[in-house]
Amino acid sequence: MKTVFVNPERCIGCKQCQIACVVEHSESKALFGAIAEKRKPRPRILVAPGISMDTSYPNKCRHCDPAPCMTVCPTGAISREKDLDIVVVDPDKCIACAMCAMVCPFDVITFYPSYEAILDKVVAIKCDHCVDRQRRGEIPACVEACKVGALVFGDINELVKMARTELAKAVSVGVGGTVEEIEAETVHLPPNVEAWRELGRTITQIGREEA
Amino acid sequence: MMAGMENRAVQRSVDPATQSMLRIAEKLGIETVWERLEAQQPQCGYGELGLCCRHCNMGPCRIDPFDDTGPQKGVCGATADTLVARGLLRAIAAGAAAHSDHGRDIAHTFLLTAEGKAGSYEIKDEAKLMALAVEYGIETEGRESNEIALELAHAIHGEFGNQAGPIRFTRRAPEARVKLWQEIGVDPRGVDREIVECMHRTHIGVDHDYVHIILHGLRTSISDGWGGSMIATELSDVLFGTPAPTRAVSNLGVLKEDEVNIVAHGHEPTLSEMIVAAAQDPDLVELAREKGAEGINVVGMCCTGNEILMRHGIPIAGNFLQQELAVITGAVEAVIVDVQCIMPALADLATCYHTEMISTSPKAKFPGATHIEFNEEEAFDIAKTIVRRAVENFPNRKPEMVNIPDETMECVVGFSVEAIVDALGGTLQPLLDAIKSGAIRGIAGVVGCNNPKVRHDYGHVRLVEELIANDVLVVNTGCNAIATAKAGLMLPEAAEQAGEGLRGVCEALGIPPVLHMGSCVDISRILVACAAIANALGVDISDLPVAGAAPEWMSEKAVSIGTYVVSSGIFTVLGTVPQVLGSPNVTNLLTQGAENVVGATFAVEPDPEKAAALMLERIESKRSGLGL
Repeated sequence: MKTVFVNPERCIGCKQCQIACVVEHSESKALFGAIAEKRKPRPRILVAPGISMDTSYPNKCRHCDPAPCMTVCPTGAISREKDLDIVVVDPDKCIACAMCAMVCPFDVITFYPSYEAILDKVVAIKCDHCVDRQRRGEIPACVEACKVGALVFGDINELVKMARTELAKAVSVGVGGTVEEIEAETVHLPPNVEAWRELGRTITQIGREEA
Repeated sequence: MMAGMENRAVQRSVDPATQSMLRIAEKLGIETVWERLEAQQPQCGYGELGLCCRHCNMGPCRIDPFDDTGPQKGVCGATADTLVARGLLRAIAAGAAAHSDHGRDIAHTFLLTAEGKAGSYEIKDEAKLMALAVEYGIETEGRESNEIALELAHAIHGEFGNQAGPIRFTRRAPEARVKLWQEIGVDPRGVDREIVECMHRTHIGVDHDYVHIILHGLRTSISDGWGGSMIATELSDVLFGTPAPTRAVSNLGVLKEDEVNIVAHGHEPTLSEMIVAAAQDPDLVELAREKGAEGINVVGMCCTGNEILMRHGIPIAGNFLQQELAVITGAVEAVIVDVQCIMPALADLATCYHTEMISTSPKAKFPGATHIEFNEEEAFDIAKTIVRRAVENFPNRKPEMVNIPDETMECVVGFSVEAIVDALGGTLQPLLDAIKSGAIRGIAGVVGCNNPKVRHDYGHVRLVEELIANDVLVVNTGCNAIATAKAGLMLPEAAEQAGEGLRGVCEALGIPPVLHMGSCVDISRILVACAAIANALGVDISDLPVAGAAPEWMSEKAVSIGTYVVSSGIFTVLGTVPQVLGSPNVTNLLTQGAENVVGATFAVEPDPEKAAALMLERIESKRSGLGL
């Protein structure tokens, strides 16, 4: 099963994934066209801030199986593209009842007009894992736009295995391994990025404890 | 919900007047700078780290701060070091341009006054005029002051287009400092030239060595601090008078329920001085009475407020983050603005009230504001037109919308270098003695803006409290000065909050432990004071027990200020993070390497108590260096 894997510690909040998503889901498929479209294309990945400054998380449909949204959809507008394991919405069948949004564990289904729907009808908008791009052999637009490795596309078990290996290396430090034995880029953030996050935390906290 | 509102207001500011206005804004559902900051979260990490570049159309480019997966070079091949250094240089250029263009405007007014073309202005400080003329090598013996003024005006005007240097005022720095600048190639050649060269160097394909780029940043900033800004200060003193200690009132409570309230906001005293004068015009005062008001109340906001506060004791309504709150009081007939630090949001906000936002500078228009362009030739008449508009707006005030907070705080302000020397009895010696004896450990210059990323006024006030408690005399300007005025630290009684040594000195002289030296261009006064002290001791500025800080800075001007202060040899602590962390090399240069180049560095420390500790450490190490 291929998916978009999120490394939240690497997200720097630039929202380029959002912009790439909007362009991919626009009628013109081009930035300068997208901003002028009548039915404004909407991002299906949303970067939200964390508690501390300089932390953020790119949130999107996880394409659950079984998918609660699909289960509750009264018109059968939500279905699964079996070969790619992608949950998609048929805008023509969608009645914008919002049942899917209510049961979505990630709160990532929104309602707007879409160029793919009839007239100005409001429909459920959510990540389709760039099904068209994938069928052309391309990776999702958000992953392509992410230059910091916060979004990675691949086989879920491979990605989890990679993360697991990194965790094991980190744990080894605690049981007597030395930091030098670990490849810095797999376990540690670069010191400047760490400093930036640390300052963000301080700035968020400073003077507010007593408030 | 009330509890949440209460908590938010208190978390956003330490200033009670600001807190009560924030509660009102929230109750009315009015958006302010804090909501707009929230809407911007998360802010782009490339931008925060200085790792994006829009300097050419092969871009925009960005560099992955995690050095393993993404691009490590822009399309042209520029590295993180180059991007960060170029970004910093452009910020310095913009900051130096803003200060220096302000200086140019004052120089222009001075020139027109000398030519007799600006009838509303006059030379108020003849002694300073003469001193400047002597400094510029202008013959004063047996000449009319206007003739001298004209020659001086041309000479100072020439500094902007100076191609070969030196800028005259840079020679106020100790000889050792000037020699150092010459040796490392950062002695500025002219005000405009250095700024133009910043833009040239940062164009695609020009300067890429981060050390070389930043050295030019130092040179440009010096042309601001010891050039454009100093010109603004000195000529403002000549035209409007050199500030002397005066008592005044601060905070939003200075707005009056029964008078026409005019907020003068922005930076250049050429405008605010005329507004103050026009508001005293008997016909306009009479008109105000006819309209049902008791009088005309001009108050200041931000640095133009500092200018009229320092020279006339005009009440100061607040600092940068309070500009919207002044309008939300519902009691402001007109906000009159010129340039710098004016939120365009004011124009939109004003539509919720009867308030009219009036822009005046040929350089600055605000969609939604009324534009009444100002010029020096007809200055007083234009000011009267503007004040009349405000007076005529008084009947449109909606009493049910009026919420003026009660808070006001008295302050003693007006500490120009001349005034400090006067307070000391005509010589710096008592101050030097106090430093030598250790009664005063050292001097801290605390300056800079407000920034909604940090709790309003918290960094400003806590840092200054901590410094004076440790016997460090604080001199300040800009938004820091306003913050400490509101906190009551600019009263002679505040000496009680100082350490024993500083307290004794303040009580003996009858001065506050925190001395208001003026607007942001008046940081040049701090440089002049440091130079005078260094010269008196026969050392360089970098040898002095002094330190600088900008706890809540946000503007590009602050970047230029920080750079010229460090270039002058003064260790400087920043309370918000500059957009440089994307390059460890640039970060190291600014926080460590610079010590070996200019004898001072930057530090970043958002916690004011820790920032104070850093400054004290520096001051003590400099004391030992001097054998004190």
